[in-house]
Amino acid sequence: MTKFLLKRILQMILIMLTASFILFVIFDTPEFKKRLAVQELGGFAVSALTDASYESWLEKKGLNVPFYERYSNWIGAVVKGDFGFSQEKNREVGPLLWDKLKKTGILAFWVFALMIPLSLVLGVLAGMKEGSLQDRSVSFISVFFTSIPEIATAILLTVFLALGLGLVPAKSAMISGFDWKALVLPVLTLVIYDFGYVARMTRASMAEVMTSQYIRTAILKGLPYRRVIMKHALRNALIAPFTIIVLQLNWLLSGVVVVEVFFEYDGFGKLLLEAALFPDIEVVQACTLVAVLVAVLSQIISDIGYTFLNPRIRFS
Amino acid sequence: MPVADLEFPRSSMFERLAKPKPMLILFAIMWVPLTLYVMFGLDDVVLLPAIPATIALYFICLWAFRESTVALVGLSLVFFWLIMAVSAPYLPLLDPNKPIAPFATPWTEKKETFFVLGSDFKGRDLLSRMIWGCQRVLIWGVSATAVAYVVGTVFGLIAGYLSGWWDEVISFISNVFLSFPVMVLFIVVLNYLGPSGFNIVIAVTFASAPAIMRIVRGLTLDIKTRDYVFAAQTRGEHPLYIMLVELLPNVRGPLIVDACLRLGYTTVAITTLTFLGLGLQPPDPDWGLMIRESARVAMLWKFSYMLLVPALSVSSLILGFNLLADGLREISLRD
Amino acid sequence: MSNNRLHPKVKEAQKMMDDGRMDRRAFLRVATLLGVSAGSAYAMSGLVQPADAAGHGNMPFAADDPNAKAGGILKVGMDIQKMDDPATYSWSEMSNQTRHTLEFLTITGTDNITRPMLVDGWEASDDLKTWTFTIRKGVKWHNGDELTAEHVKFNIDRWMDPDLGSSNIGLSSIAAMLEDVGEKKAMVEGSVEVLDSHTIQLNLQKPVLSVPEDFSNYPTSIVHPSFKAPFSDNPLGTGAYELVELVVGEKCILKKKADHDYWGGQVYLDEIHYYDFSAENSLIAFSGGEVDTIIEFGVEQLEFAKAIEGTILTARTSQTLTLRMQVDQAPFDDIRVRRAFSMAIDNAAVKPLVYPEGGDIGANYHVAPIHPEHFDIPVPARDVEGAKALLAEAGYADGIELTIDIGNTDGPWHQTVVEAVRDQVKDAGITLNINVLPASKYWEIWDKTPFGATSWTHRPLGTMVLSLGYRTGVPWNETHFSNAEFDAALDEAEATLDVEERRAKMEKVQKIMQDAAIVCIPLFRPLYSIVNGSVNGVSMHPTKFHLFNKVWKA
Repeated sequence: MTKFLLKRILQMILIMLTASFILFVIFDTPEFKKRLAVQELGGFAVSALTDASYESWLEKKGLNVPFYERYSNWIGAVVKGDFGFSQEKNREVGPLLWDKLKKTGILAFWVFALMIPLSLVLGVLAGMKEGSLQDRSVSFISVFFTSIPEIATAILLTVFLALGLGLVPAKSAMISGFDWKALVLPVLTLVIYDFGYVARMTRASMAEVMTSQYIRTAILKGLPYRRVIMKHALRNALIAPFTIIVLQLNWLLSGVVVVEVFFEYDGFGKLLLEAALFPDIEVVQACTLVAVLVAVLSQIISDIGYTFLNPRIRFS
Repeated sequence: MPVADLEFPRSSMFERLAKPKPMLILFAIMWVPLTLYVMFGLDDVVLLPAIPATIALYFICLWAFRESTVALVGLSLVFFWLIMAVSAPYLPLLDPNKPIAPFATPWTEKKETFFVLGSDFKGRDLLSRMIWGCQRVLIWGVSATAVAYVVGTVFGLIAGYLSGWWDEVISFISNVFLSFPVMVLFIVVLNYLGPSGFNIVIAVTFASAPAIMRIVRGLTLDIKTRDYVFAAQTRGEHPLYIMLVELLPNVRGPLIVDACLRLGYTTVAITTLTFLGLGLQPPDPDWGLMIRESARVAMLWKFSYMLLVPALSVSSLILGFNLLADGLREISLRD
Repeated sequence: MSNNRLHPKVKEAQKMMDDGRMDRRAFLRVATLLGVSAGSAYAMSGLVQPADAAGHGNMPFAADDPNAKAGGILKVGMDIQKMDDPATYSWSEMSNQTRHTLEFLTITGTDNITRPMLVDGWEASDDLKTWTFTIRKGVKWHNGDELTAEHVKFNIDRWMDPDLGSSNIGLSSIAAMLEDVGEKKAMVEGSVEVLDSHTIQLNLQKPVLSVPEDFSNYPTSIVHPSFKAPFSDNPLGTGAYELVELVVGEKCILKKKADHDYWGGQVYLDEIHYYDFSAENSLIAFSGGEVDTIIEFGVEQLEFAKAIEGTILTARTSQTLTLRMQVDQAPFDDIRVRRAFSMAIDNAAVKPLVYPEGGDIGANYHVAPIHPEHFDIPVPARDVEGAKALLAEAGYADGIELTIDIGNTDGPWHQTVVEAVRDQVKDAGITLNINVLPASKYWEIWDKTPFGATSWTHRPLGTMVLSLGYRTGVPWNETHFSNAEFDAALDEAEATLDVEERRAKMEKVQKIMQDAAIVCIPLFRPLYSIVNGSVNGVSMHPTKFHLFNKVWKA
């Protein structure tokens, strides 16, 4: 167990190093430095600079040091917990990222709070009676909603709920403080796009359990159907969905980009896009580290969880 | 005789890979002109043979998938857009880039022009932009998925068949890419290369190839213990021959379902990236661009048709891909 | 400054106006340019001062509205960027964030007339090479210090630091104080002289007309000598408001500075809040009632704006898009190709496709109808056959394929212009490919690409932009145009204070530029904004400057 954990964590660190190294190489090209100069000083001012003045600007910003040196400094700082400085936002990356992650956290919490019960109930209902009408309709609903891209869902919800009925605000910038109503559209968009996939996985797992020997025996023994489902089938059928749900965390980090940008919700996804376009390298780096961390941790949790929940699998 | 030894497997390899298959030929007649037309701006004429080919292919596929209603629905949705794509220049449509009368509501006449689906903020006809818009999504979506498959399959075959160090290195690299959330990867790659259709192909390859490689690697690990592979090895065939002739055709089946799903993802990705300003560039019509441009001007109930048209179009195409994948899975499970 | 010594040119101008050779508005400009306060100039011209321009005494602000109510918060939708060093600001938006804290020596009003702000007047030598500014008395920094000539010198010296990267060195007046030192440009010794605690003198190497205009340019706000970037960490200014909170990309909160002896009289608003809704969403936020006004909206949103409640504000400007060709790059080194391109375009037909309301038609020289010295040379009529003949002569009998780079750097209207042009030049056998780049990428190549569409902002005088962009060898000469005759004609125009005379001299300048066909300028665009009914006194400025001192909320 410890060996397994150590191996995964070691792998994660190796991946983080590789990823951040690649990013540093990319952002160290002269074009990107020029782009940063244009952002800082304006296109007209940059072209009025002589080469010598441009060099001194690079020096002032600490961009003229060879990238391996910058990279090793950066690693040194990150190990100490200092994620660097955002050129665009003029702020320490650490607190900046933490602020945005909290906002995305709120979003993610409500997405999971709605998506888990919805998809589990639908999946179990469908998987209980394979091939039945309720199974087919749940399957169709799942495919249907998974097929509508987030951007389209966002549009449809905005048009009907915000512009048409005026129930909720169209944008979620929340300039005058936190507003529950403004959270509705982003959360719904993510839930609608995601629940279908989890429901289908739950259905598959449930259907498999229902055909297993012990459930059939239990039903043949004459135990009440309800009890068989609740006591025996569910426990085993929910193991696979659990791992899937944990892995959705990773998916969510991608999914929030378009939703946050569309609804103007100031979270991790919007930060990442803005930083990449700026280009604000230390923010992109920090965001990538967080993303990789979430991805690998969710994989580890889902692996461990699966092992604990499923008595048939033991670590060798 | 060494020469003959070399000759024999080579001819056999080509023979086995290029058996005349009507569906493949029709697909090529449809696809090659459309690709050339969209990517390199060839003349309208190149699309002429593609129109009957597409329709014929549609009927052949309908017959082939007749067992599954779901597949038929998906097929019809996908082919609806394919037929629109190849016949767009010959349909009685207004010029999709020509500003005529801005903000015309659907089914109304403005400046002596009748707008079925209305016009956008520049006065361009939405119906015609919707139909022309599917060309770029289809072409770049399919090209990107295809390239990702070629790359993923090649590395998957190598990793699975050769194992050892090859496997270690390839698996580690693919793990690096798989640990990035897809969107992060897209943003970083496209921001570095600049937004364009060709760069989307590269970005999708980076994002999808590792996953495809994993699937192919798994399948290869399974298949390579089979007798016919063993037989080929004892015959002394070159590993390349074994990978291409013995392994490749046998991993193809399970990949088709995955390909349909992945086409859906890629279409979503292209539309989303274009919406974020990292994908296809104006002025040619594209659904993602239509959303991007309308999102800033149409945030009112009475203008919302500008957003609904592209949103529903892209949803229907993706629904088509997903239903097709579902149907194919159903059919393959029945066999 | 007391106006007992009028510049000789003012008297001359007054005479011309009285003789009817100069219109009253042009007189206002000459007079204020030469140091007469706008109030006095209006009086001399006999024009009624517009409400917005009227000042009490020598103030650059509107008169106090007797109905005005003090208090309230003004909420504005605008991009919020970092406030690092005001001298390196690259957007008007940035300067608006500091505009109520850091002030300028002069300010160009919404009527395009430049008035004294932190100075109370100026005087120019007859050869326009020596300019003397008197600093306004009683201007206090937030820490109680009084603004002095030394403080102003500190700022002007700073702008000329070659390593600072301020775009101010591109201003004609600042450039006239620079010389080449090694590989860098540095200040000529003795250019900025402090005469006494409240008088400063600029000694220029060549005559410059636009010194007061230059000092209202957005990166020329005056900072305290203790300034250290970033400004947001130590927001010390002379203005009536102070920075309370800045979150880049989210908000910028300004509050009326308590216990501050403000020189500019009463201000009404308690707080000014700027909120960021990534550009295109500002109008959506306005329609949802989240903000009172927004910095601007694009023409593509005009129908949307009309459909929501609020007053639409417009400004006539000299902002434009130049489709410019580099004269030393094939095929644009052949003037016949350039001419054929211009000839194939009907400028008058392009404008309504891009801006159905407002704006001016351009005539392929970079002087706008709202510039005081604009000489009206009509654009030659579209001539498709002539264009074809010229192309054939140049060796492109079968047509020519050109690719233009565009970056939509201040909105998608760039693309609308280029698309309209593309459809027109097609008739003359020119296939125009449009290569759309992201804005940041365009700024990397704006002065390098052989054929590009660059946007130029509004400048109060027509000569200012010509000097910046089209003189031989100047840094922003993106066309690589080099014409001694043009330079000489422009020199002459720039040394002429009298607007009538200058306009006559501009004919030659504009004609050379039009004939050289180095740029195609189909239009000068209007700006749009919107404000809700509860806000009084907001108007649209041609460079989007915000000046909310006299704005009040009902």
